[in-house]
Amino acid sequence: MSEVAQLQLIALSIVGIGILILLFIKATFVRVTGFVAIVLGLFSLMSLAVPQMASLPPAEEKIDIASIKTPTDIAAIGQTVFFSKGQCALCHSIGPSESARCPDLKGIGAKLSREFLYESLTDPQAFVYQDYRHGGLPKEYPATMPAINKDPIGLSKNEILAVIAFLQQMSGEPVSISVTDLEIPGKAPSAPVKAAESSLVADASRNQ
Amino acid sequence: MSAIQQGVGTIQRALRAVGGHGGWLAGLLLTVGWLALPSIGFAAEGATAGPTEYRDIPYIGSRNLIWIVAQLHLLLAGFVLGVPIFAWLCEVIAWRGGEQRYDKLAKEFTKLLTSAYATTALFGGILLFLLVAFYPKLMNYLTDVFFPSFLVYCLLFLLETATLYLYWYGWDAMQDGNKKTLHIFLGFLLNFFALFIMIVPNAWATFQSSPVVISEGTAFERAWAATWNPTWWPINVHRLIANVVLGGYICGAYAGVRYLSVKNPEDREHYDWMGYVGNFIGVFGLLALPFAGYWLMREIYQYNQQMGITLMGGFLSWLFIIQAMLIGVLFLGSNYYFWLGITYRIPGSEGKYRRAMLMMLVSLLLCLAVWMTPHSLVASIEEAQKMGGAHHPLLGVLGVMSAKMTVSNLMILITFMSFVMYWRAGKQDTAGWAKLGKAVMGAVLVLASLAVIVLGVWGYFVPAIVRINYFSTSQVLIVIFVILTITPLTALLLKSARTTTEMVWGSMPPRAGYALVLNAVMVILLMTLMGYARSSSRVHWHVYGVMRDSSPYAYSPALGSASLIMAFCTFFFCILVAFIFWVATMGDKYKATAASGKGELPHGIPALAGGAPEERPQG
Repeated sequence: MSEVAQLQLIALSIVGIGILILLFIKATFVRVTGFVAIVLGLFSLMSLAVPQMASLPPAEEKIDIASIKTPTDIAAIGQTVFFSKGQCALCHSIGPSESARCPDLKGIGAKLSREFLYESLTDPQAFVYQDYRHGGLPKEYPATMPAINKDPIGLSKNEILAVIAFLQQMSGEPVSISVTDLEIPGKAPSAPVKAAESSLVADASRNQ
Repeated sequence: MSAIQQGVGTIQRALRAVGGHGGWLAGLLLTVGWLALPSIGFAAEGATAGPTEYRDIPYIGSRNLIWIVAQLHLLLAGFVLGVPIFAWLCEVIAWRGGEQRYDKLAKEFTKLLTSAYATTALFGGILLFLLVAFYPKLMNYLTDVFFPSFLVYCLLFLLETATLYLYWYGWDAMQDGNKKTLHIFLGFLLNFFALFIMIVPNAWATFQSSPVVISEGTAFERAWAATWNPTWWPINVHRLIANVVLGGYICGAYAGVRYLSVKNPEDREHYDWMGYVGNFIGVFGLLALPFAGYWLMREIYQYNQQMGITLMGGFLSWLFIIQAMLIGVLFLGSNYYFWLGITYRIPGSEGKYRRAMLMMLVSLLLCLAVWMTPHSLVASIEEAQKMGGAHHPLLGVLGVMSAKMTVSNLMILITFMSFVMYWRAGKQDTAGWAKLGKAVMGAVLVLASLAVIVLGVWGYFVPAIVRINYFSTSQVLIVIFVILTITPLTALLLKSARTTTEMVWGSMPPRAGYALVLNAVMVILLMTLMGYARSSSRVHWHVYGVMRDSSPYAYSPALGSASLIMAFCTFFFCILVAFIFWVATMGDKYKATAASGKGELPHGIPALAGGAPEERPQG
């Protein structure tokens, strides 16, 4: 028996006890208690009838550099981060979606350079497309992209690079992140990815 | 690393394996938990280096125990802050209007306060000890941030306690002339201090969700910056109104239970009337509550969109369907009680209003159906293909905020009209302008309803920002306009009206008593549900984005599992309140028995704390 079924059985029992009290007990206070038990049991049954989703803390993605052989391996890690710790899918879709609140990321890896993607993730306000809102009134209630390398999300540099690799791969582009770009724990970090140069930004802007 | 931290992975892996429900059903075994309290010391064993961050408790788990105690403390606090508002309002009505039964009602409820206050403080003390024991690192951090406000809180408690004693024990001594005015002022002071007792800890709680941290400045400046965080005032306003609602509905539930048990016609009349007053105050608070809730959600979105999405569109989205159901039942219960009043207290009115009541019932059910419509369903790929997308065509239309805002405003309007109907029943207008007045009121109501619907439909065709900032706000303002227009007009109209049927108190059927109990249970359940939502919206953070929860309990359980804890808290709180009522009225029963000569108060029994001062003739 699944855990939900067990809980439903408990809730049903509470309702049953309440009904028995109302049927056989005359004392007012006990009858009111039985009535309250029925209400609470029904509430629990209703809560158990909807989809059951727990919110787990993001699992720490252990990036084992030694096990990464190809850029595809990095992209696979990026896919996991995209849908879990990174919380990207909370707002972004890959392909058109009614419920997506933020830009569709389909093909984004082909449109934007690796450096520009890195900047967009770590300093999202550095460059904002003029046509971001697709018309309409000025956005007073902004869908602000958080700096992904800071809390509360706080992706590491390796995780951000993995996400970029995933975005490139799902856009049909060759993955430009290689194993040598990743930081090896305990070693001095490799040269940081430079923020986008103005020319790159201009290029990206034209591509939109 | 402590033994507890080593268990983090184990619990979370187990949770993932069972689909997130967790093996913490044992959390309901509160008694076992209490018996296991001494083992807290053992749980901290194994911490070899550095200060202890967490302690645990076997079987029930530290988080579940904190959850239950905190929820009970919050409910009791809502009760002891809501009842003085309720009592003071009743006292003012008696003072200004001369109806002494309101004064008696106010006194009856103030009598509860001393024992309720002690129980609330007891749970507050237990909560504090448990927090210090289970979450020392977090408490150390919060103490560093809020130390000055802890001192203010202590001072407020002293002032509140002194005022409460003066207010209660001085009730009979301050009945005449200027003394009554002084007593009313004491009641105001009591509520004034109570308001601050509520908003100071609100700052600690809201800081955890929307922290404002500054590193420079004095301790006071840092505490003030942390206090004035983005969700502080929305929560303050929301909780203040919710406390009035809780106080009103608990008064109603108490009256309902007493009404069901008393046989004496005089007592039946008294408790029937008390139930009406409790329901009335509860409903009027309820009408304003959705507006405050809307403001709170808006502030959350503005503070952090991810948090807002986690609440409304993430794993907590189904919680809002359950919330809609509870609010819907509360609206239905409150309206049903009004309709029962029209039918049984005002003989002859049933035929006149039957059709209107039926239409209102159907409208409320339709609105509730829309409000409960989920935006997205968990569907298989085959089901999604059949639907033609992730959303069912109907759900995609009715499950969005535009539809929900519209129906919630309509439900408020319908409930308000139920009250107006009850108010007008059994009276005949005599004013010369009655026809015109009624026409104006009818026009205001119809036009307002149409405007709310038009704005709701129009909301589908404009960007979300326009809908949120202008349309939804306009809908709220329209409803407030209706209430502020029709209430004084009706009062003016009824001032000169002739009473055709006298109100008959004590003639309600037993189901009216159960309706009052149902309303109170719905309000308590809503408070427990939204407490879970507020806490879960922080996900795996003690202080959002600042201090991460690295304990084994850094997860939010699924709604079904959580609902059993909520149900337990609700039940236990009801029992506690019943106990408080029982204790507070025990002395009166002895007095009544002694006065009737049927028995004698046993010698040597000390007076109960908070026992009623000697009754004196009223009026």
